[in-house]
Amino acid sequence: MAEPLERLTNLLALLLETTAPVTLEQIAFEMSPQYPTNESARRGAFERDKGVLRDLGIPIEQTVLGGSEAGRTAYRIDRRRYELADLDLSDDERRALQLAVAAARSGDSLGQDGLWKLGVGSERPSLAVAATVPTFAVLPPLSAAIAVRSSVAFTYRGTPRNLDPYGLLLRDGYWYVVGRDHAHDELRTYRVDRIDNAQNPDASVIAGASAGFERPSGFDIRAVFPSDPKLLGEPASQITRAVVKVSGERAALVSAEVGDDAVLARFDDGSIHVQVPCVNRDAFRNWVLGLTHFAEVVSPPEVRDDVISWLTSFGPPVAAAN
Amino acid sequence: MARRGPRPAHERLKRLLVMLPWLMERGEVAIAEMAAHFSLTESELVADIELAAMCGLPPFVDELIDVFIDEGMVFTGVPRVFTRPLRLTAPEGFSLLASSRAAMALPGADTDGPLGRALGKLAKALGDDGVVVDLGRPAMVDRVAAAAAGGVRLSITYWTPARDEATERQVTPRMVFADGGHWYMVADDHRSDSERVFRLDRILEVGDTGIVDPMRAVAPPDPQRWMNDDPDIDRVTIRLPTELTWMVERYPIDSLTADPTSTTGASCTVVMPVTSEEWLRRLLLRMGPRAEVLTPQRWASLAADTASRVLQRYGVVSPAT
Repeated sequence: MAEPLERLTNLLALLLETTAPVTLEQIAFEMSPQYPTNESARRGAFERDKGVLRDLGIPIEQTVLGGSEAGRTAYRIDRRRYELADLDLSDDERRALQLAVAAARSGDSLGQDGLWKLGVGSERPSLAVAATVPTFAVLPPLSAAIAVRSSVAFTYRGTPRNLDPYGLLLRDGYWYVVGRDHAHDELRTYRVDRIDNAQNPDASVIAGASAGFERPSGFDIRAVFPSDPKLLGEPASQITRAVVKVSGERAALVSAEVGDDAVLARFDDGSIHVQVPCVNRDAFRNWVLGLTHFAEVVSPPEVRDDVISWLTSFGPPVAAAN
Repeated sequence: MARRGPRPAHERLKRLLVMLPWLMERGEVAIAEMAAHFSLTESELVADIELAAMCGLPPFVDELIDVFIDEGMVFTGVPRVFTRPLRLTAPEGFSLLASSRAAMALPGADTDGPLGRALGKLAKALGDDGVVVDLGRPAMVDRVAAAAAGGVRLSITYWTPARDEATERQVTPRMVFADGGHWYMVADDHRSDSERVFRLDRILEVGDTGIVDPMRAVAPPDPQRWMNDDPDIDRVTIRLPTELTWMVERYPIDSLTADPTSTTGASCTVVMPVTSEEWLRRLLLRMGPRAEVLTPQRWASLAADTASRVLQRYGVVSPAT
């Protein structure tokens, strides 16, 4: 018996070289004695090899023959579909891609696997800037569906969803998919890591036929998905902005975050008044509570009362209870 | 690179399918150079090349893959198959595009430069994937990245939330990186005389020192584990309603387990490292009273005490027992 690698390589070469599709019997004959002579053992070994090649992304075509071979399955690989089209990359473009893959620290080897195909080695350049790009197995099929405009079906926290995917956005460390949700007939955003089985591409997303929808012209994922969570979602009321007093200890931090334009007043003790969005009341409360006793909602009263009632719900402090 | 056990056949084949076209383009390459290029040891490379040389099918038994090794060099003759690499798989294509887009969002990226051109060629070949990477880049990021590129020492006022104090120090930034929605720098901290990671949105003030330090390359922290890898750090165990798990998911956690269903609804128990009590206060305050600290006992009343302290600011006396 040949080494598994030798048999795989020979099988691949045979399927690439053949001009007409070949049956398993022909393959076993050409490669004799690398496949077992026992028919079921031979079939089992061949199916395993075929699975390995397909997992590597090799497009094995199979056809059912007619005529004297009627009913038999034959296999071949179309060289044009197998081979990488020449991207015509210059040396500096290759180096730039190498730097990009090193800088986008994804924690997997897919980028390097791609680079090798483009002729780029695994030498790690030294970097002064980098960004972590989280990876999920569900991302490539989603992206492919966007490219060919096919609807996708997935389960999101236990609920089945059907979506015309318009785009993918990485923001604040999370991937989001945005598109038209069929059931609601409106634009919806889903966090990719919360899609059920997000790390298993075979179990997470089912893509429909291509050209299944048209993306609205001029669609801009940044515009439909605001960067400030305090602006996200349906407004709880007409109130969209609140004024918050921030103590001197946090004034520099907060004014750098919200921008000088949002600072309404500066006081002698170092404290400031800032105006911040509160369309999403939960996100607003999370933000203001993150400043603990260094911040206080000044107005409007409805928003101030919201925060007070949240704080009151914790009950008495232990010292007071004793 | 750390060596692993025996390499499975599919891994070896995958590498062979990129090695052979690369070799054929060059005709001859030193073993050492080729092994480095493909992240293999020299003996692994030699084993794979020797095996490839044995492959053959009639009528090309000896010349299917015409490679041989001599005097530390790998040679190839006239190629028959494997002259071109296998096309990119969908995950590889996605990874290259997403990486390139992320790199384009980093300080110093040039849209018209080589990366912009490479990205254009890739996108043309792979189709409109609809991917946008938005790293949100405050002015401080560019300022620190420029300092890192030149070894420029800065003076900063830095707020440490764990101790709730602002300190002044001199730092030489070495690397700037974005992770989980925040920007950080790896810098030589001249105050502690050690390499430290600083979060850029906690820099209250920045100034120049006029000092330029010799350049030094640093390894970026491991993306998965860089935050709280220290077993000596205190742990907290919190029971929380299942719908609040998203609030803890963005922090490193040791474990998150679903509780047996109870009459009060679905809940989970999370165990996570606590780098500072101040941080835990803020987290508990945001989660609300339905999140309950189980251990340690000393933090069981932290949320109510903190809420009471904030209420004082509003002039509200905490509810009586």
